[in-house]
Amino acid sequence: MTEPFLSIRNLRKTFGSFVAVHDVTIDIPKGEFLTFLGPSGSGKSTTLYAIAGFQDPTSGDVLLEGRSLLSVPSHKRNIGMVFQRYTLFQHLTVAENVAFPLRVRRRPDAEVNRKVAEMLSLVRLEGFGGRYPGALSGGQQQRVALARALAYDPPILLMDEPLSALDKKLREEIQAEIRRIHRETGVTILYVTHDQDEALHLSDRIALFRDGRIAQIGTGEDLYLRPACEFVASFIGNSNFLPAEHLQTTDGAATIRLADGSIVSGVKATQEFGQGQKTRLMVRPEAFRLRPGPATAGLAVEFIDAAFFGERRRVVARTSAGQEIDVRPPSDMANDHDETAQQSGQVFFDPAAAFLFPALQTT
Amino acid sequence: MSGNLPHRPPVLRKPVVRTRRGLGGALPALIIVSLFFVVPVVALLLRSVTEPTPGLQNYAILFGDGTYARVFFNTFLVASIVTAVTVMVAFPVAWTLAIMPPALGSIVFGIIILSMWTNLLTRTYAWMVLLQRTGVINRTLMDIGLISEPLPLINNLTGVTIGMVYIMLPFMILPLVGTLRAIDPMTLRAAALCGASPLDAFRRILLPLSLPGIAAGGLMVFVMSLGYFVTPTLLGGTSNMMLAGMIAQMIQSLLNWGLGSAAAFILLVVTMALYALQLRLVGTQRVTGGV
Repeated sequence: MTEPFLSIRNLRKTFGSFVAVHDVTIDIPKGEFLTFLGPSGSGKSTTLYAIAGFQDPTSGDVLLEGRSLLSVPSHKRNIGMVFQRYTLFQHLTVAENVAFPLRVRRRPDAEVNRKVAEMLSLVRLEGFGGRYPGALSGGQQQRVALARALAYDPPILLMDEPLSALDKKLREEIQAEIRRIHRETGVTILYVTHDQDEALHLSDRIALFRDGRIAQIGTGEDLYLRPACEFVASFIGNSNFLPAEHLQTTDGAATIRLADGSIVSGVKATQEFGQGQKTRLMVRPEAFRLRPGPATAGLAVEFIDAAFFGERRRVVARTSAGQEIDVRPPSDMANDHDETAQQSGQVFFDPAAAFLFPALQTT
Repeated sequence: MSGNLPHRPPVLRKPVVRTRRGLGGALPALIIVSLFFVVPVVALLLRSVTEPTPGLQNYAILFGDGTYARVFFNTFLVASIVTAVTVMVAFPVAWTLAIMPPALGSIVFGIIILSMWTNLLTRTYAWMVLLQRTGVINRTLMDIGLISEPLPLINNLTGVTIGMVYIMLPFMILPLVGTLRAIDPMTLRAAALCGASPLDAFRRILLPLSLPGIAAGGLMVFVMSLGYFVTPTLLGGTSNMMLAGMIAQMIQSLLNWGLGSAAAFILLVVTMALYALQLRLVGTQRVTGGV
C-alpha cells in the first residue's frame, strides 16, 4: 500500500481537563480539497493548528509523505496558511508581503519578482503591488494573504475560516476564486469553516467534526444523502425527525410505525434495530411532495402556513400527532393546483429517501 | 526591502481632526506657558549674551574650549549608550508584558509604576551601595570566586549607564507595550509559516512594527538623559562629567551665570531640534500617542 500524501493519525489534544480533539484519523490524497466542518469548539481548528505546528498534539501524529511533522518547527514545515483575521504585514507593501516567504528563503531577486507578479495575477491583484495592506478592502487583503501563502509553492495550504470576516457577496466571490486557484495550482487544501454552504461549494470531501471527533467524512453527497448519524443529518441541510417504532428490517429496508399508527415500509435503516425499538425517522423538507407518487407514503397533516418561493413552496404543517414539520416541495410547473390552500390534507415522501435513526438517549 | 521605513503605511495613521476655535479657550494655558516657560527661557537667553558683558563670548568659550567640548561629547555619548541599552533591556520586558494575561500584566505594570514613584535619590543611593568596591555585587562575585579583584562599577561610565538605564526603563517600557499590544500575535504565526525563523520574524516583522514605540520611548529617554543631573553626578566619575553637572558647577561654584545660561540654552536648542527631527520622521501621533 502506498503512503497517503498527508496523514493525521489518532490525533488527540487536551487543554488541562478539556479534551479539544479526542481521536482524529484522516488520510488526505495529494491535490484534495478537504474541509473541516463543524460547530465552534468541535476541534476542527485545533486539528488544523496541529498541522501548522502552532499546538503540539497530546498524542498522535501528523505525517507528510510518510515523515512525521511534529518535530519540525512551524517555519520549516513549508506549509501555506490563510488566517481568519488579516495577518498581512502592515509595514510592508502588497508586493513585499507576497515576497516575504521568498525573501526569508533567500531566493534571488529575479525569481522573487517573477513569482510575486505571477501570484498577484493569480489572485487578480495586478497593479496593487505598491499599495499598503491598510489601503485595501477586506476581500483584497485576504487575496493578498492567499498570494503570500502560495508564493513558495507549498504542498499544503491551510485555511482557517478565511472568509468569516467578509460580507456575503464578497464571500461568494472569493469562494469562486479559491475554487479556481485550487484547480489551477493543484495544491492540497485543508479548509476550516462552520458554514455548510461554503463546505459544500468548495470541497472534494468534508470531514464533519463533533466534540473532538469526526462524525463522518465523505463527499457532500455522502453527507447529505447518506448521513451516518443523526448529527450529520441535522447539520447538513434541514431535517424533520418523526418519532417511530421499528418493526422489522430486511436488507437495510426497515418497516416502522409512525406516531399516527400508519405503517411505512422501505425506509433506510442506518444501523441494526430491535423489534419495538423507539426510533426517529428523518425526512428532509425537500423530500416531501404534495401529491402521491408511485411508491410514496402519505402523512395526514394540517396546513398551518404556506408561502410560494418560485422554485419551491415552504409549508409549515402539523401531523396528527401534533408535531410541526417543515415541508419544501419543488414547484410543479405542469399543475398549478395549490393543495396547501386546504385546511388539511396529506404530504408524501419516498420511503427510500427517509432515514431511520435511534431515538435520542434520554439520560 | 530594507528594514527602515521609507514610506509610512497609511493604516497606522489616525485621521487628524482640526477644529478652529478662537483663542479664548486657550488663553489660560497660553498665559501659564508664557509666564513659566517662555519668560524664563528668554531671560536665560538674555543672560547668556549679556553677562558678564554683552556679546557672544560665552558661546565662543563653550564651542572653543576643548574641556567643554569633551563634556558635550560625553553627554551625548552617555545619552546614546543609555538609550541603546534601555531599548535592549526594555524590549523583552515590554514584549512579555504585551503577551501576558491582563491580570498578571497589571500587577507587573504596578511594580514598574511604583518604582517610578520611589524617590530618585533613594534609588540612586541604593545603586551606590550595590555597585561600590565593597558593595553587594562585587562581594558576591568574589565570594563565589568568579573574580579576585572588585570590578570598577562605580564612578565611571559603567556606573552611570547602569543607574540611568534603571531610572529610564519605565519611560521606554510604557510606550513600547502600547505599540506591541497593537500587534496581532497571529501576524507572527503567519510569518513563521511563511518560513521566517524566530530571528527573521523578529528582525523583519516585530521590530519594524514596534519602531514607533521604540522611537517614542527612545526620544524620551535620550532627551531626559541629556539633561540628567542626580544619577550621573553620584554614580559617575569626574572624568565623565555631563552637561547638567557642568551647568550646576558653573552656577553654584563658579557663579558664572552667563556661561551656565549659555550651556543650558544650547542643551535646550539641541533637545528641541531632536524633537523636531523625530516629528518629521515618525509624525506627531506616533510620538505622543501609543502610550
